[in-house]
Amino acid sequence: MSEPTETANQIDAKGIIIGLVGIYIAGIAAPAGMPYLAFLAGIGALFATKMGADAVRRVCSYGIGTGVPSIGMLALGMGIIAAMFGLAFGKMVHAPFIGPIVGLALALAIGFVVGSLANKIIKLNIPVMERCLTEIAGAGVLVLTGFSVMIAGSMDFVVISEKVITTGYIAPVFILGALGILHPFNASLGPDETQDRTLIHAYSCGAIAMTIGGFCSIAAIGAVAGLITTVVGLAIWYVTFMGFVKLVKRDAGAGYVGTGLLPPGAM
Amino acid sequence: MTDIITMLATNWISIIGIIIGGICIAVGVHFVPVGGAPAAMAQATGIGTGTVQLAAGSGLTGLLAAGYMYMTLSAVDKPGISEIVLICATGAVGAMIMISVTMIVGNWVYIYGVGVPPASAKVDYDPLTGDSQAPYVAAGTVGQGMPTVCFVSGAIGGLLGGLGGSLVYCMLMWVNGDPAISSIFAIGVFLVNAVLPSYNIQGTIEGFHDPKFKRVPKAMLACFIASLLCGVIAVMIPGAGGF
Repeated sequence: MSEPTETANQIDAKGIIIGLVGIYIAGIAAPAGMPYLAFLAGIGALFATKMGADAVRRVCSYGIGTGVPSIGMLALGMGIIAAMFGLAFGKMVHAPFIGPIVGLALALAIGFVVGSLANKIIKLNIPVMERCLTEIAGAGVLVLTGFSVMIAGSMDFVVISEKVITTGYIAPVFILGALGILHPFNASLGPDETQDRTLIHAYSCGAIAMTIGGFCSIAAIGAVAGLITTVVGLAIWYVTFMGFVKLVKRDAGAGYVGTGLLPPGAM
Repeated sequence: MTDIITMLATNWISIIGIIIGGICIAVGVHFVPVGGAPAAMAQATGIGTGTVQLAAGSGLTGLLAAGYMYMTLSAVDKPGISEIVLICATGAVGAMIMISVTMIVGNWVYIYGVGVPPASAKVDYDPLTGDSQAPYVAAGTVGQGMPTVCFVSGAIGGLLGGLGGSLVYCMLMWVNGDPAISSIFAIGVFLVNAVLPSYNIQGTIEGFHDPKFKRVPKAMLACFIASLLCGVIAVMIPGAGGF
């Protein structure tokens, strides 16, 4: 692992703040007659994806023995319970707007407990385990809440339940959200792994989830709002994926050729 | 706030059910012969993929079977204890079928495709059939394919995983009556309880004859705490119809 260009605290702060702000703007504006802003929840989820991917990168560089995907599935497993509880809790106390924050707080708590279980009882003895699992669970909640709010255009548990969970859109959100968190490090790991390359890949995976979420949103909110999300998602994907390709070429130690033959440096 | 306390007080039996389900899943993971990447190259005994993929695959197949049975039975009456037993049995059989099919097809690939005899390097003689293992383990590898003991162990793992997953699903259906929310929550509880034991076995295990199997109590304790936490949260969500 090379020296990080962004510290963990910076990434966490950006992920949580932009994640929550995006979810809130979309969740407040969309029911108030501006569904076109629903895509902002997806932007928030993108930054949360990056936060999760960076935590995966730090914890998995210790070698957890089970493959990187397991920790991403763990994140979303904890995340879905906390996210749905948060939204339902907001509905129960008649204040839907506290939902995402309650979900996030709960996920951070579950993540810390599960991290402690892994270190203290199962004895994985990875020093960053508690912190990283806390971050990963938080990222899982923000990703799920963000994409759910983006698709449904509301923070109301009943609306999300009806438009996202019962329709089954939660399945692509779940697996694509997990992919954004687990895939970047899984694809980039190795001695020449660099943080900026891994994290730009997280953006591009998140953008794929956002694009697919936009298609789901066409049926849930409306054609225009859904298409705006899809187009924004596609644009982000194009820019970040091209950036990723550029960084791959930068980091290719032996040089590269576009033909499938071995590059000159590898001969 | 009183709503939440009332829900916890009325649904304590569901929390216990979720904990039992979680522990079943945790123990089930230890039975499944997981070989990981080395097994995918026929250099280790077991199925060539990770614990989570296998547990999730068999668990979700079990969940589908259980969900179908729940739908059929609840059309007649609200499911009681005897119906829950039937639903969990259906889920267990569903998961067993999935894991057995994976193992038998995997074995075909290893035997006829790669050309290696299934053999375990962890034991000298198969504990079930008494067949000698060591002469068949290729040099430089730690076994290959799924010998009989691994196959039986894997089927038991599928049984426990499917049972646990269906039990969690039934318990959540009792609480909120919403199949969509219950199933997505059951998947969440399932994944947490499948990943924690997979850290316990450090990625690979051959089955109940593997020395790593002795680590089961640690995973049971960890999953007890994790399932308790998940269960307490999950039973507090009333489902969309509850508002």
